[in-house]
Amino acid sequence: MKKSSIIGLLVIAIAIAIIIGFYGSSSTYGSFSDAKNTSGELHVIGFLDKQKELYYDAKKDANYFSFYMKDKKGEECKVVFPGTKPQDFERSEQIVLVGEMRGNEFHASHIQMKCPSKYTQDKVEITEASAKKADI
Amino acid sequence: MDTFKGEHLLPGHLGQLFVILAFGAALLSTISYYFATTNKDPLDNSWKRIARIGFYINTLSVVGIGVCLFYIIYTHLFEYHYAWEHSSKSLPVYYIISSYWEGQEGSFWLWGFWQAVLGNILIWRAKSWEKPVMTVVSLSQVLLSSMLIGIEIFGARIGSSPFILLRDAIDLKSSAPIFAQRPDLYQNYLSYITDGNGLNPLLQNYWMVIHPPTLFLGFASMVVPFAYAIAGLWQKRYKEWVQPAISYSLFAVMVLGTGIIMGSFWAYDSLNFDGFWAWDPVENAALIPWLTLIGAVHVMIVYKNTGHSYFTATFLVLISFVLVLYASFLTRSGILGDTSVHAFTDLGMFWHLVVDVIIFAAVSILLLVIRWKELPITKKEEETYSREFWMFVGAVFMALSCLQLVVVTSIPVWNAMFKTNIAPPNNPVTLYNVFQAGFGVVVTLLMGFAQFMKYKKTETNRFFITTGVYFVCALLITVLIVYVTGIYNLRIVFSLIMLGAIFSVLSNGKVLSDAIKGKIKLAGSAVAHIGFGLILVGAVIAAGTRKVVSVNDTGEQYSAEFAKRNDPKENIMLIKNQPVKMGDYVVTYMGDSLSMPNHYFKVDYKLMDANGKVKAEFLLKPNSQFNPKMGLVSSPDTKHYLLNDLYTHVTMAPLNSGMETDTAAHSEADDDKNYDAPISHEISVGDTIRFREGYIVLKSLDKTAHVENIPLTNKDIAVGAILEITSHGKTYTAEPVYMIKNGSVFDFSRKVDDAGLKLRFSKIDPQSAKETIMVYQQPENKRPYIVMKAVRFPYINFFWSGTVIMVIGFLMAIFRRNKELKTV
Repeated sequence: MKKSSIIGLLVIAIAIAIIIGFYGSSSTYGSFSDAKNTSGELHVIGFLDKQKELYYDAKKDANYFSFYMKDKKGEECKVVFPGTKPQDFERSEQIVLVGEMRGNEFHASHIQMKCPSKYTQDKVEITEASAKKADI
Repeated sequence: MDTFKGEHLLPGHLGQLFVILAFGAALLSTISYYFATTNKDPLDNSWKRIARIGFYINTLSVVGIGVCLFYIIYTHLFEYHYAWEHSSKSLPVYYIISSYWEGQEGSFWLWGFWQAVLGNILIWRAKSWEKPVMTVVSLSQVLLSSMLIGIEIFGARIGSSPFILLRDAIDLKSSAPIFAQRPDLYQNYLSYITDGNGLNPLLQNYWMVIHPPTLFLGFASMVVPFAYAIAGLWQKRYKEWVQPAISYSLFAVMVLGTGIIMGSFWAYDSLNFDGFWAWDPVENAALIPWLTLIGAVHVMIVYKNTGHSYFTATFLVLISFVLVLYASFLTRSGILGDTSVHAFTDLGMFWHLVVDVIIFAAVSILLLVIRWKELPITKKEEETYSREFWMFVGAVFMALSCLQLVVVTSIPVWNAMFKTNIAPPNNPVTLYNVFQAGFGVVVTLLMGFAQFMKYKKTETNRFFITTGVYFVCALLITVLIVYVTGIYNLRIVFSLIMLGAIFSVLSNGKVLSDAIKGKIKLAGSAVAHIGFGLILVGAVIAAGTRKVVSVNDTGEQYSAEFAKRNDPKENIMLIKNQPVKMGDYVVTYMGDSLSMPNHYFKVDYKLMDANGKVKAEFLLKPNSQFNPKMGLVSSPDTKHYLLNDLYTHVTMAPLNSGMETDTAAHSEADDDKNYDAPISHEISVGDTIRFREGYIVLKSLDKTAHVENIPLTNKDIAVGAILEITSHGKTYTAEPVYMIKNGSVFDFSRKVDDAGLKLRFSKIDPQSAKETIMVYQQPENKRPYIVMKAVRFPYINFFWSGTVIMVIGFLMAIFRRNKELKTV
């Protein structure tokens, strides 16, 4: 066999391996009820329930943070994260969790939050200034 | 038509004029260069003259855009959306430069600026290549300029201008309803816009002043080899285009590589994702074209020396630039959405960016198809024992590693194209690390043994002996390194890549030493290879054996489920002035220092030896910045040693909006709530009171005590209790005062915040000579504290120094190739 055909076959084999590796490792987006029915980790997108308690007490355990999140279907679940409360967590608009169900709690290994205020802040804050003017 | 007070419209109008002029001039230049190239009459230079004038006008306009934008930001003209969104009055001048590239428009401008500079260099140097090469560069300049136009054509907005006014970009009437009711106020809206949004605190870093210009110079310079490859196909100058393209490609990979590592250093220095590389899509987007172009450089050299691999060289050069455009589509179109923390948000340019990619991909494919039959593709195979064959294999593997990055990074693109809903890998870092290390093993081994081969044909016996000797040496060194650093605990592929990296460093070391004896000008590639090998050595050790020092298993086990899991507990809490043992260190949170807008947490580290003696002591100051618009942003601080780094960042601190609560404003009763119930002690002078964190000695009584602003008469009595407090090896004094004034009893408490104490002198009993001291202790959760994380990065300096060496190697190679270059 010619060298070029050997290399050609090798390239094809590796390309296939890459795609298999990609499918094998990629995850799925799901809801909390999906998480209950699957073993292993998945991504859940949802919103922080700001009515319920955000629990983090560094004195008792610096690596325990829990909160309640509603997934996109509206189902709510307690979420436990082994780490600190991310800064400005209360301000988050959308949360992406990676993790799995353990009993009735969702254990997140990774939290990513989106604060739309952070980068696309198309709201002018003028309240203070206009109040002053109104006095005159 | 509304008129508005206080607006400065001239710089914006001027800037917008330059934007349009830049676009028009680039278009003129492209068309003229095209006709100049196709013109058969060699004496007719009229098209070329028009094209050059067009490009000069474009260059001047691009500079003009930059000047107008700088003026707007520098003079704080917040009537312009760009200045309002990306800067503020408090921004120092050197960060005004950074605010340029916080927004997409500014970074497009930067790209266009570099491309204009490169275009002028080509006009000056490219000689016979000028016409076809500049046709391509000008076309790219047309597309970049169009990104800044920001005008609606047929209902679709083309590009996004940095000169859009705030009142046009944002509906002020809906965000401030009062403007809708009071037109008179609306006309005067600018007097309410007192300051801009400011620059993201993370970008306020000196690396952020130089990293983006470097990166964009790298991106911009990738158009030059692309243009040469196209010109080579177009003009059927299949042989000659490679020579100049090698120099420009080396320049592009050098600058882009430097830019990437600068970004990595910035991340390590001021972001808190605990490392120097996170395989974020934005990082991958910069790495992808770098990999293909570095592969291209190698096959171009093969083609130049042997005539083999013509197609691979052309293909890799072409795809590199298309991938630059694809990368800019990924990071700028908003398609990455949830998968990246760093990507820009969509500015409505999705299709514009897609068109950009398609145009250049289509031109490349079209030319390849048209010229396919004429391409100088060799029928004869390379010799197995030849350098060119293995360089070719190496380039193929680099392209494959790039393919893996593209496939996984583009998940959101696949989702958009095929309407699927695939999530990114749960653990992308491991996936990328394993795959890329696998390719790295092959590439580094090739980098090693190909050095012992010659072009065309190698004498096999000698080759096997030298390779064998160096390989065995590399193996021994690798075993030692793997054993000492603990890499053997990781996947086997990381030990293998270490072997490959060491082998390539050694064999290139031999090439270097031969070159020093003989032809020093040939040393460039050896130096660059050594640098690259060291980068890998540093990256594998630092990332693979990084160790969290702040492991903390003291937490409460909240639930059985939580306890069962072997989660990493990487955060440690430090209460102010209470030393905590952390690994080999004793760390103490000493307090804060404010240098607005940064809030520094002073953390004292004492390195203890086995006998409990202090071997070394240093202070780290990780900081948080409270930005009212962007929230709390933290940056780490790192203790750099020659062989390892200790990296520390605060993951949580009870900073409420950065506002210090003013306790003086509260009543005494309120204040007591901050303490545990007091304990009264009846003691005499010289007695000692013990408390949780130390002891207090009543040294003496001060009969002449007085309290500020309270005049005392002869009948009044004021006595101070001089207390000496010792807590955690530190001594403080406090003097609470007992007072009888006008027949009433008062006492004035004193606080020792560092020890978390409040002390009252509440009673004097003249008969027993006992004084009553009330001790209030602050419960620990009311004491100031921080939660932090500390990570050790061993041997990370190999990573940084490898980069410097690699850049030196690239420079040497560029000088060498330029000397060979005799452009006609």
